[in-house]
Amino acid sequence: MSLLEVDAINTYYGEAHALFDVSMHIEPHEVVALLGRNGAGKTTTLKTMMGVMAPKSGAIRFNGQAIGGLPPYKIARLGLQLVPEERRIIGGLTVEENIVLAGLSEAKPWPPQRVYDMFPRLGERRRNRGRELSGGEQQMLAIARALVREPQLILLDEPFEGLAPLIVQDLLGICRRLADEGRTIIIVEQNVEAALSLARRCYILNNGHMVYEGTPADLRRERDFMHRHLGI
Amino acid sequence: MSAPVALAKRWAPEIALVVILLILPLVLPYIDGTYDIANRILDWGLFGLGFDLLFGFTGLLSFGQAAFYGAGGFVAAYILVAPFTNNAVVALIGGTVAASIFGVIIGYLSLRRTGIYFAMLTLAFGEMFFFLDISPLARWTGGENGVAGVPEPHLGFGIFSIDINDPGGLYWLLVVVFVLGFWLARRIVASPFGAVLRAIRENGARVAAVGHDVPKYKLTVFVIAAAYAGLAGGLLGLLQGYMPPDAFYLDTSGQLVVQTIIGGAGTLIGPLVGATVWLYLYTLLQNIAGIGAWWKMILGVIFVVLVTVFRRGLCGGTLLLWRRPVARPALEPVAETAVGEQARVAAEPRRSTQRPPPTGPIVLATRNLSKRYGGLTAVDDVSFELREGEIRAVIGPNGAGKSTFFNMLANVIPPSSGTIEFKGRNITGLGATMVCQRGISKSFQINQIFPSLTVRENLRIAVLARAYGKFHPAMLRAVDRDATVNAGIDAAAASVQLAKRLDTPAVELAYGEKRRLEIGLALATRPQILLLDEPTAGMSPVERADTVRLLRSIASGVTIVIVEHDMDVVFGLADRITVLFNGRKIAEDVPDAIQANPDVRAAYLGSQAAHEPA
Amino acid sequence: MISWPLFFSQVFNGLTLGALLVLVAMGLTIIFGTLGVVNFAHGALYAVGAYAGFVTYEYTGSFVAAMAAGAIFLLVVGVVIERGLIRLYYQRPPEDQILVTFGITIVLVEAIRAIFGGLARNIPAPSWAAGIVNLRVTLYPTYRIDVLAIVGASLVLLYFVLYRTRLGLIVRAGIEDQLMVNILGINVTRTFLTVFGLGAMAAGFAGVINAPIVTVTPDMGADILVQSFVVVVIGGVGSFWGAVVGGLIAGEILSLTAMIQPAYSQVMLFAVMALVLILRPQGLFGVEGRQ
Repeated sequence: MSLLEVDAINTYYGEAHALFDVSMHIEPHEVVALLGRNGAGKTTTLKTMMGVMAPKSGAIRFNGQAIGGLPPYKIARLGLQLVPEERRIIGGLTVEENIVLAGLSEAKPWPPQRVYDMFPRLGERRRNRGRELSGGEQQMLAIARALVREPQLILLDEPFEGLAPLIVQDLLGICRRLADEGRTIIIVEQNVEAALSLARRCYILNNGHMVYEGTPADLRRERDFMHRHLGI
Repeated sequence: MSAPVALAKRWAPEIALVVILLILPLVLPYIDGTYDIANRILDWGLFGLGFDLLFGFTGLLSFGQAAFYGAGGFVAAYILVAPFTNNAVVALIGGTVAASIFGVIIGYLSLRRTGIYFAMLTLAFGEMFFFLDISPLARWTGGENGVAGVPEPHLGFGIFSIDINDPGGLYWLLVVVFVLGFWLARRIVASPFGAVLRAIRENGARVAAVGHDVPKYKLTVFVIAAAYAGLAGGLLGLLQGYMPPDAFYLDTSGQLVVQTIIGGAGTLIGPLVGATVWLYLYTLLQNIAGIGAWWKMILGVIFVVLVTVFRRGLCGGTLLLWRRPVARPALEPVAETAVGEQARVAAEPRRSTQRPPPTGPIVLATRNLSKRYGGLTAVDDVSFELREGEIRAVIGPNGAGKSTFFNMLANVIPPSSGTIEFKGRNITGLGATMVCQRGISKSFQINQIFPSLTVRENLRIAVLARAYGKFHPAMLRAVDRDATVNAGIDAAAASVQLAKRLDTPAVELAYGEKRRLEIGLALATRPQILLLDEPTAGMSPVERADTVRLLRSIASGVTIVIVEHDMDVVFGLADRITVLFNGRKIAEDVPDAIQANPDVRAAYLGSQAAHEPA
Repeated sequence: MISWPLFFSQVFNGLTLGALLVLVAMGLTIIFGTLGVVNFAHGALYAVGAYAGFVTYEYTGSFVAAMAAGAIFLLVVGVVIERGLIRLYYQRPPEDQILVTFGITIVLVEAIRAIFGGLARNIPAPSWAAGIVNLRVTLYPTYRIDVLAIVGASLVLLYFVLYRTRLGLIVRAGIEDQLMVNILGINVTRTFLTVFGLGAMAAGFAGVINAPIVTVTPDMGADILVQSFVVVVIGGVGSFWGAVVGGLIAGEILSLTAMIQPAYSQVMLFAVMALVLILRPQGLFGVEGRQ
């Protein structure tokens, strides 16, 4: 039994068909990259896993339990956590309040100090409001927020988007650390190289269809295929 | 059907109304009614005609109509009592004009906001008028006492005149005014003006995008509602021989809203029916021992139930659109999995379009176009030229600035710097409405159609803007008999293969058909440049291929800019491709060259130094 | 000629009136900010509170009991309304929400009228707050000063709840980004219940404590409704400090204009609201684009 099983889901935005019979599976302790051009359906897939959207057909099972159609808060309590594309830090709350908020529904959340040990920069800014943080700091906080809940599976949606190269390197380092710790992560990224450097396996979505499943090494061997589905 | 029958059908509501009102006096004694009650109901009905045009048809919920009701009433009463004249016709016209002037002022101020804030602004202005009436202007309005001694109506029409001195006479006066008012309102609804109003209620943004001056339409209907209110107010004074300050009460505005909802918003006759229900419920319940005092509460409960379950009240009868068991949109057969499998097979070389390279004059150009949001530069110094008849695709990885650039072309957002020229003339900052009138039309990624209108009515809105310009207050013509407009609708429908679905409500179309309608709306404005925002969004592979074929068929005679993620679609259509990355243009060439371009390949796969700092 | 005692008296009146508006507006802004619902029934809730207090006072003779009754009864009423009706409207356009809450107003107000009749009732000021106090600059009724104190204490309590408790954290976060709070494992809809109840409670409590100052009639909520909307607009939707500052400003506008030219006091308030709506729709403390 996989940690997460996505079984031929079809998700719609209203009547617009976004995901067509998409299937994938995640095993514990692996980092899986979900790649594709924008508009391909990567974020839609993560949103469906997290319950932000409900699939019209197909099933999603987490630790064997069906979670398709459950509201996000229930799925979060089962052990999934999404780090959303826009980060969605609560701007009016301080860094520390954002951390505390994340832990409210968790039995044994990380205390803020543990977050500051891992992200010293956040510790320095603990009294600043969310909206005063830079892009990179907000991304750190968004990841920290997810970790607070000790999730079994982390969904990372475009963590490197719109950030300066140095910050991306920092974050890559953090992600590598998380991977080394044995955390299970699905990472959605347009920055293909960065994603492949972290992942053990990868999937490719194109126009809502799953068109590839394999390892980074295998994918790198098929350059034309890569360009066809990830480039132009 | 034969001409007389058709004619009768068109006029059925007016005929029915006249018949009922003619018979009513005979029936009154049997239903415990009096002329006085009937007169009041007719007055509310008249007040409500204007309000229904405003709220039921255009979707503008105003809680301040009492301001115009009172203003019209007090001006008319004052004219008669001062006395400036004893001619009630003059007084009523005076009141209506005064109310209309206030309508222009308050409308202009209130319509700067929408939704809740619009409602609150009208409420505030309504209350302002009330307090002004009670105190500072008490010398003219009688303050809390109102204006007494309004004489019995002497209607002077030049050479002849009519004197009314009994409630029966007043009844016929009100019947005449109401029937005329009803006829006029019906004409307005059936006119080009009315068609635009109804569309504004459904999707005001799209109405503006196809080239209508929405603020002007809204202000005009606001003033019309004020005029009806003012006329009704003046008649109230004549009815009672006295003009009361409660014409200005918030309660009065509220009662109008409740009556309209109960009778049915968007039916014109709803307010009259609602007023009847209100008054009869009151009378009925008064006579039942023990419940008398609760009549208004019961009315409130009925109102709440109606708002929750129905939207169109007693007359409308149909449930809220989203509750109604809508005819299920036809589902496309799901043959996608086979195609999906195909995609997994080793990549095939793409077929580029076989069209000759564009050599026409430059029709659209941007020069050093930039857009900055605070510290972030979304679009950086992009210069771009489009030739007549060309199909240009704009692509780029996420965050490349495509949408921002595209929205600047469509004049939806203004640039921070740089210019846009259309056929040599600067169109920067003109706004989407004007730009559409000039000949650039946009079709949206998420369908922006008018769901409860039929395909024909949808297309009509766009055709009207093209045929008659951005503001055309034609209120007396019947829009469905306009040959130019009908021809335009038929042409647009044919070009997107919806000719067979013209009389289907848009909400019942299949998704692919809705997308075609979306494009059809932009096409119906007969643009020279068509901007397509992800036209194949949410489509199955089969639908995508169909869309490509459709777009190829409309490409002659129109220059197209298309933003897309689907590379098959891009390669199947584009003459040239412009690639944006981090807000900058990094390549612009024919598709084959773009495919081989190393910078473009790197941009997509992120192997060059990742996103540069803003 | 305006004398200093009159002036200061009016300033304090403005504070008292303002304090009450702050309390009522606080409930309105929290509901509006968190649930996105425009609660046109807020004035009616205020009136229901006053009557609940009146009935309790008649039975017990205790003003404190009346205050408690007003608050608790309204908490229950608020929860019932939210569960029974409001929650059906979260996805519906704002016009529908205005209409249904307007309808609830009619139901509540007319029920009051049917039960109690239209005659003005009164709850006398409690004996421990009767009399006049000498404020050096003017003589002022003790009860009104006490109202300031009571409202002040309530606001401190509310501030404590909003900024120092779990619930408050959730509410403040939910005002900004409901979905994210949901993703973080918190059942937001359960919070809605509490928020609406709290908002109603604030309105009802204000109704009781204001009762000794004004007369208790079924229509007493109408003016308050409109005025508290003005406060929310001026202060900014969903903002605690916006409600405080906006309320005090509104109270002073009403009071001081009344001193100069009574006829224009209400008009002045609406003029200010219209100005704010047109020029700076997010209000003094509101978040831009939040409409």
